[in-house]
Amino acid sequence: MKRIRLLTLVVALMALMSFALAPALAQECEGEVIELEFMNWWGAAREALMDTLIGHFEAENPCIRVINQVQPWDNRAELLATAAASSNPPGIIMSTRPETYHFAISGLIIPIDHFVDAHGTDLSVFYDGEIGLQYWNGELYGLPMPTAGGLTSLYIYNKDMLRAAGYDPESPPKTWQELEEMSAAITVADPMGVDVMGAEIIGDDWAFVAWLYTNNGRYSSDDGRTLLFNSPEGVETLEWMVNFTNNINGGVENVSDFFQDTAFAQGDHPWFEDQLAFLRINTSFYGHYNVNDPEGYADTSHWGTMLRPYNGDNPDATHAGTTGYNYSGAWAYTIPTVHPPEKQEAAFKFAEFIGVHPLGGCAFLFAQSRPSPVKECNENPAYYEVNPTWSVVLEGLATDVAVSITPVQGQLAEILSNAIEEALFGVKSAEDALNDAHAEMQAILDEFWAEFDAANM
Amino acid sequence: MQASLKSKHSQPETPMKLRLQEWWFRNRALIGFVFIFPWFAGFIIFDALPFIYNLYLSFTDYQIGTVGLPPWIGFDNYSKIFTDDKLFGKSMYNTVYYLGFSVPLRLIFAFLIALILNLRVRGMELYRTLFYVPSVVPLVAATVIFAGFLNTRYGFLNQFLVLIGATPVRWLSSPDAIKPSLILISLWGFGGQMIIFLAGLQSIPDDLYEAAAIDGGTGWHRMVYITVPLMTPTIFFNLLLGLIGGFQIFEQVFILLDTNGGPLQAGLVYMLHVYNKAFRDFEFGYSAALSVILFLIIFVLTIMLVYTSNRWVFYGDAQDDET
Repeated sequence: MKRIRLLTLVVALMALMSFALAPALAQECEGEVIELEFMNWWGAAREALMDTLIGHFEAENPCIRVINQVQPWDNRAELLATAAASSNPPGIIMSTRPETYHFAISGLIIPIDHFVDAHGTDLSVFYDGEIGLQYWNGELYGLPMPTAGGLTSLYIYNKDMLRAAGYDPESPPKTWQELEEMSAAITVADPMGVDVMGAEIIGDDWAFVAWLYTNNGRYSSDDGRTLLFNSPEGVETLEWMVNFTNNINGGVENVSDFFQDTAFAQGDHPWFEDQLAFLRINTSFYGHYNVNDPEGYADTSHWGTMLRPYNGDNPDATHAGTTGYNYSGAWAYTIPTVHPPEKQEAAFKFAEFIGVHPLGGCAFLFAQSRPSPVKECNENPAYYEVNPTWSVVLEGLATDVAVSITPVQGQLAEILSNAIEEALFGVKSAEDALNDAHAEMQAILDEFWAEFDAANM
Repeated sequence: MQASLKSKHSQPETPMKLRLQEWWFRNRALIGFVFIFPWFAGFIIFDALPFIYNLYLSFTDYQIGTVGLPPWIGFDNYSKIFTDDKLFGKSMYNTVYYLGFSVPLRLIFAFLIALILNLRVRGMELYRTLFYVPSVVPLVAATVIFAGFLNTRYGFLNQFLVLIGATPVRWLSSPDAIKPSLILISLWGFGGQMIIFLAGLQSIPDDLYEAAAIDGGTGWHRMVYITVPLMTPTIFFNLLLGLIGGFQIFEQVFILLDTNGGPLQAGLVYMLHVYNKAFRDFEFGYSAALSVILFLIIFVLTIMLVYTSNRWVFYGDAQDDET
């Protein structure tokens, strides 16, 4: 067993070394060099990893020079919109699913099916649920990286806190009811609100939608034309969220205050102070955890990964997460329409490298201990060394359900978010909040589809 | 030495120099225009043309990526704003609420500080500098500092309230406290107005105060009958700028509360709504219409203020002319 571990480590080290050293073997370009501005949001510790990836790409494609243009997160929307709409956009743009759809409808980006055919790109290497999110109106607009999955299906939990509350640290909660019980036992209130919290279960609209799927509910129909979240399952889900938040955490304001001015990526999150037992994560958290607290990350007697609990009272419910719903998820690398064909070709080569090449997204995500949308990459046994809870991560990816959305998702999400808040603040009952939001959202959706159908008749 | 100076002064002006002076005099207006041209060009390129283009876009269904002219839809955007857009009313209410309190409070605060800084005491230059320093701190940095200051659990303000036995306030997490928090933060930028008030105060002639003192006027009388009336042009100027700036509040809210405007959208101010429509929903035509409405509101308010200023703003020169 020790030998296998050692061997795995050696293999992983060699992979990392080759990842770092290969750019040195770059060839000279004999023709004209194409410059490709790469607009992306792989900042912080990931920037150096992306530079390495680019180095590998340029080594294989000496006539393409990629300029890594990492953008600030804060004014992302305006940067992206103005860049995409300008007459001189970047060569390749990292965009989320709703943005990709919007740009596709507006004609700002090109479908890439012809490149896929010409290059013989094997799309079957991706999980269906990942590549499927990048199609709009039957055409493919980008290759995914990182995963859209694993954004809502996983929680990390603090084993010490479970142990101290008298629970078996190797048996995290599987159902809503178990989560409630354990959270109630762990949560400690103080005069300023909550000092130690069991679990935070609320967030914007996405949190409700994620819990909805663990109660066998659905956000929308498969064709994305009908919203279904105000079903009895939806109402039950929101009522449970409101009751949990009020009864265990003392209200929504306590929860906001508990997390105010903290961020997991910055290492000042209550998780690092052993003040939070159950934390919903996305797969980027492993990398941040390792960077901010390497000792804690390495100590798996202290923490574990679990699947998002489901409603134990609903016989049809099971663990679930959602893919493609989150407004900031389902990233792809898209190619602006205005560029000449040779630049678009270069952009596709780079997108393909990021998407499917072993030294592309595969190695880039491995270095962050997070999964890849390419199935084979995740089968690397070295993952178990860099992420000790890897088997649960893969289980989580398997429970993810793809959600149908449209380019007007931003507007719909805002309305649903406000409805969730109205229920949490007691302005409306869960049922009224969801029904009102549904009426408003469905009207916007109907208007969108009417315009879309008219334009595509 | 004297001789040389004398010879220099008595040197007759050459015809060339005279011609140059004459040309300079005749074309003095043109030369003035040359000097203001950089500003004027900037105004045309960066203000006037975008304004006209924005006005045009407000009558179209402009989306990013529109090739050629965007589709003309007449007043549809405007009609949608007044009939369909729930957030128009909400964001306008939040903005007017903010304005209603922040503008007068800041005026009063800046005026009072200026009064204190107008006293003749030792080291006043230092105090003036200290009070002005907050105004040169970039808004983003100041807002981030305030975010920590107003933190419910660990912020200085609540720690202080707890210390004196008061109930802590959920400054940024309670819908009821968000607007007061924004108003509180707005006081931070009083330095600009303070400096203008200070300049106004220093231009009031001392003999007026001396005359009042001789007539037995108290400090209060001097304030009410001399200082305030003579400061009305400055108050008017600061009020006008405060209103225009207040309607456009954006950065602080964007940083503190994100684009949704905080819980129950209690901090969704008008400019945030304009921003969301443009950059989140990509409805640029609609967003342009929203901004035109804001322009009209500010424009009408400005006209009203200017018009009514004759009744309460004391322009000493005008009265002198009449006498």
